[in-house]
Amino acid sequence: MRLIWKLLRKHISLFELSVFFVANLIGMVVILGGIQIYSDLKPLVAGDNALVGNDYVVISKPVKRLNSKSVFSAEEIEELKIQDFVLRLGEFTPAQYQIFGGINIGGQGFSTYMFFEGIPDDFVDVKSKEWKFSKGKRKVPIIIPRNYLNLYNFGFSQTSTQLPQITESMMKDLELELTLSGGNHKDKLVGKVVGFTDRLNTILVPQSFIEWSNKRYAKGENIEISRLILEVENPSDPKLLSYFKKHGYVAEDKPAESNKALFLLRVGVAVIIGIGVLFSLLSLIILTLSIYLLLQKNIDKLRTLIDIGYRPTTVAAPYNLITIILSVSIMALSIWLLSHVRVLYIDYLSEAAGREISGGMTLTIISGFVLMVGIILFNMTIIRRKIAQISRMQ
Amino acid sequence: MSNIQLINTVPEIFAERQDLKSDIWLQDVSFEQGKKYLIEADSGTGKSSLCSFIYGLRGDYRGTIKLNDQDISKFSTSKWCDIRQTSISILFQDLRLFGELTAYENIQIKHRLHKIHNKRVIEAWFEALGIADKRNTRIDHMSYGQQQRVALIRALCQPFEFLLLDEPISHLDDRNSDIMRDIILTEVERQGATLIATSIGKHMNIEYDKCLSL
Repeated sequence: MRLIWKLLRKHISLFELSVFFVANLIGMVVILGGIQIYSDLKPLVAGDNALVGNDYVVISKPVKRLNSKSVFSAEEIEELKIQDFVLRLGEFTPAQYQIFGGINIGGQGFSTYMFFEGIPDDFVDVKSKEWKFSKGKRKVPIIIPRNYLNLYNFGFSQTSTQLPQITESMMKDLELELTLSGGNHKDKLVGKVVGFTDRLNTILVPQSFIEWSNKRYAKGENIEISRLILEVENPSDPKLLSYFKKHGYVAEDKPAESNKALFLLRVGVAVIIGIGVLFSLLSLIILTLSIYLLLQKNIDKLRTLIDIGYRPTTVAAPYNLITIILSVSIMALSIWLLSHVRVLYIDYLSEAAGREISGGMTLTIISGFVLMVGIILFNMTIIRRKIAQISRMQ
Repeated sequence: MSNIQLINTVPEIFAERQDLKSDIWLQDVSFEQGKKYLIEADSGTGKSSLCSFIYGLRGDYRGTIKLNDQDISKFSTSKWCDIRQTSISILFQDLRLFGELTAYENIQIKHRLHKIHNKRVIEAWFEALGIADKRNTRIDHMSYGQQQRVALIRALCQPFEFLLLDEPISHLDDRNSDIMRDIILTEVERQGATLIATSIGKHMNIEYDKCLSL
């Protein structure tokens, strides 16, 4: 190998390889940076457990006058289901009985009439092991909107010196005394907050609990559906908007706002990644041309090596080695640089979000690895083809 | 028994010639194991082409060439690599040495593929051929005659069934030519190989089994 290297290194241009190295490094850092920023920012705009690529819209009918109910008929729901902009549809099932809830915070009692709703589990954006209800148990898991907690902390607790501010984890430790009544039954149950949602503006309990409790306290009376959750590809789809307008459906603002933010994030990241890809493509062309030129300059020596019995794979080895060393060091350096840059903004982000950002760098590292392998394979293919062409009988 | 057979073979460029008188072109010729052949030719009669055909470097001929009863035109690159490493060795007319490597490095680059000789044998050849003091000299700083001797040593640094020598002594004096002959005969004998040498007039003083005119 030493002699082959001595023979073939003559025309290697340090300048060309350095240009490739710098250009590819910039390209790689920009691409991987885009991916890293996306994974760090996404949880902020898309909720705790939102799935990539999915958007949700909650719709209802406007309240028109006193004593009238705005509900969806079975036909309307069926018609919505078959629209091509609707991927999935879930119904909000309301509790149709009386609920009285009490809570004790710092020695201060706090009680109110309240309501529950249920939706199918796969629409719930909070994943928790405790999210299940078994008949006969007194414990009811509850998910509340994160802004309810904010309402308490910055509303009630600010106006009263006796009510302390509470964190999410403190809230999860509290027990809610629930009194459920209706249909000749009155029971005391214990509610437990198991998570906070950014997607759903309601007090959620498991669907199985709603079904059981409606049967017990409301005798399974005909349930009227007043809100629906839709999984859609694009919440700003003109077809969807005109359909809603035509039928007088109203989409709730909150998820739409977060969808807009998610959309903007995606566009921003796509632009960053696009620039990175452009840089990387340019640098890849530089590397490929350099190696191709190198092979061309050494063509007589390569041919002689093959003529005296060398295998094409052995002859290709030094060139493959250059590609591998360059690509691996570029990838390692990019990840190293990014991890340092990330430290600079992650604290600021966590502070702005009011919670820990735990995106991690796994996606970035995997993407970097895939890119690196791609670049290496591409160049090895070019080298193999050129040397095969040299080896062929004339 | 290894052999090389040429059946009705002729270079493409001679294919249309009517006045071709040759012991090889358009004949049925066989080179048998252990024998020594001299191919004499005038300039431009296709001597180097013949070597290139047999060694698998060129395919611009008509007819059939067989190595050990197999048509060589069907061989893959990988098969040719095997043949060039273990079956046929060649001393190119244009030597094909690497100018930027020293004489000894030129030998090493070939010898490392099989390492069939120990270092002392190679050094003895350098000594015998009068180029021991040039071992560490770059090839492009040596005379053509000296380069020819280095190229011969390189050709002997592998196992072979056939040794193809394309004008091996064109730039050597009689004394060096005799030394070279002795080294070649000893090695060919040791490996039980076939010797095929070409010449345009000056040739090694050997008892050839057959002389063919191209």
